[in-house]
Amino acid sequence: MATDRMSDVVSLQQRLEQHGFIAERSFAATLLLTMEMRRPLLLEGEAGVGKTEVAKALARLLDTRLIRLQCYEGLDAHSALYEWNYQHQLLAIKLLEQDSRPVQDKEQDIFSERYLLKRPLLEAITTTPAPVLLIDEIDRTDEAFEAYLLEMLSDFQMSIPELGVIRATERPFVILTSNGTREISDALRRRCLYQYVDYPGFDKELLIVRTQVPEVPEKLARQMVEFVQSVRQMDLQKKPGLAETLDWVAALLRLGVSAIDEDGVERIMDSLSALVKTREDQAGMTRPVVERLVASC
Amino acid sequence: MLTGIPSAAAERTPPASLEDALVARYTGFAGWLRANDFRVTSTDVAASLEMAQRMGQLDSELLRWSLRALLCSRAEEWRRFDALFEAYFLAPNRRKLGESKAGGAGRIETGDTAGRRDASEGTPLGHDGPGAADPDQVPGKTAEQGASVEASLAHADFRHLNQPDELFAIDDAIRRFAQRLRGIQLRREQRANNGRVVDMAWTIRRSISRGGMPLELGWRRKRRQRPRIVLLLDVSRSMSLYSFFYLRLARVLSARVSDVHCFIFHTRLVGIEQALRDPDPWRSQERLQLLSAGWAGGTRIGDSLGEFNQQYAAKLLHSRTAIVVVSDGYDAGDPERLQQSLAAMRRRCRCLVWLNPLASRADFTPASAGMQAALPYIDLLAGARDLASLERVLPQVLSALQ
Repeated sequence: MATDRMSDVVSLQQRLEQHGFIAERSFAATLLLTMEMRRPLLLEGEAGVGKTEVAKALARLLDTRLIRLQCYEGLDAHSALYEWNYQHQLLAIKLLEQDSRPVQDKEQDIFSERYLLKRPLLEAITTTPAPVLLIDEIDRTDEAFEAYLLEMLSDFQMSIPELGVIRATERPFVILTSNGTREISDALRRRCLYQYVDYPGFDKELLIVRTQVPEVPEKLARQMVEFVQSVRQMDLQKKPGLAETLDWVAALLRLGVSAIDEDGVERIMDSLSALVKTREDQAGMTRPVVERLVASC
Repeated sequence: MLTGIPSAAAERTPPASLEDALVARYTGFAGWLRANDFRVTSTDVAASLEMAQRMGQLDSELLRWSLRALLCSRAEEWRRFDALFEAYFLAPNRRKLGESKAGGAGRIETGDTAGRRDASEGTPLGHDGPGAADPDQVPGKTAEQGASVEASLAHADFRHLNQPDELFAIDDAIRRFAQRLRGIQLRREQRANNGRVVDMAWTIRRSISRGGMPLELGWRRKRRQRPRIVLLLDVSRSMSLYSFFYLRLARVLSARVSDVHCFIFHTRLVGIEQALRDPDPWRSQERLQLLSAGWAGGTRIGDSLGEFNQQYAAKLLHSRTAIVVVSDGYDAGDPERLQQSLAAMRRRCRCLVWLNPLASRADFTPASAGMQAALPYIDLLAGARDLASLERVLPQVLSALQ
């Protein structure tokens, strides 16, 4: 049984590729572990290297729902876990005033699941089959919210005072992403598997461009990826990520560029707004710089 | 089943079976990582055994990937893991290789050896701290062009970083500072027990227990949040009288206030946040020692701040960040570079405070080329060279931060 694990990893890698996601073999191994052990997976890396895409691909692969919790500063338990539908509860109270049932029954009725608004986390643990839960940019929330997450990620249960403890019918596949804006607590890190996602290398990026934008000719794709790779080597404030590469490829196709050479420099300059996105960086991409980059492609 | 961790008795006798040997091997690996500053707990050891069984142990690549996913928890560990894995599982002379790879970040030397090293290198630092320092020794205007671009090869002596008396005094001042640091008013509102605007949803929620009668009102109020503080300390030679004082300040500040990020710079920039936050004071000292290459050497403020912009600004600076630069402004680099760096920095943060130890003197004028270049971008220029002057300055800093 132990010997054919590698073939499991390879087959997962191939299946991921069929669903439009290119992963290294080591990454596929980590994903296999995530799926088998149902431990949360923490992805760290620069913005735009395709961390969010992992969750989407996984959901497509498993053919299940993707529940996404986008974190932001000030995110509180009410918008992440659950909330009572106060207005409806109040209406129900008024209506029940004429009712002759005992008070306890009425109370149970008011605090039943009918009046519970499920937010992403609660939804994730009550949905079957197990969904993929994407907790995006966890580093944007504050420590208080991280503490809420701990209970949920270690036991996959949630306590609602009025209803009691709700346990997961089936453990969801949890993926957390972080850009490193804030240091995440060790307690949270310890509960997760960890994968650092780097900018893709030449081969991987080329493969991604070929899969995502199949209409681009082979030679042009090679040149474009080489161009982007050398832009990443430059001293930029914000290096272009994968998303930027794909945008730029689409932009060049739309501008009708068929090859990257000296004649196309003008149009490449025009399309750079898809690739470099700060004022300083754009100022740094002068014509001579672009010409040099083009010449090296 | 590989579940348990061998008892001490079992470890002493040679392992009886293959299973025991494997358990010992993985436990040893966890210990090896821990010695190299990984945060590995005993539950991780049990999990790694389970994982090894699940994924198979014959394929070294597969084992490496799975253990890496399980045992690493931050990017820095991720980068070092491969070397450590190879050192432990592959090479026969693992100890030697491992030590050179790990960079010594985890191993604590005894106080003796640390002391000897300092004596032999003869650091040019005043060990008495700023309190006893003679202010006349401060390089005056003659040093205006005298700053050097050379990095110093000496390591600093950090034994005096944890002087209890001084630490307590600074701690006291910083505690009061942290209390008064009320924070910046945000647009986002939060629930409160009193305020100006009634929070309808919460009021209704509160009234449910009274059958819908809103007896207790819920309120909303603007949220306030403490600014993130980024501290950039100049530790070049001309600052050497004050560096330790500010380093103590940085240590106390990062212990008291949560969102503080510290860097030192001389000819280049070094992040010291992790070292300062180390709960073990001796280890903190040791780590600072390793980081301190170039201490008390030349100054290139512009380049160092530029490096900060390049590497850390995107992650650290937001509209509620306060940057505090501590420097005397004696810069060997190009003032124009300093100007650019400061301009870029100023655009990204909320306020920029410059503490110049010399500015607390009566006859101070910001004449040095560095200060001249910096002036247009600074929100507050204040002088603080010891605790007494710091206490005078803190209220000004507070009002600048809010």
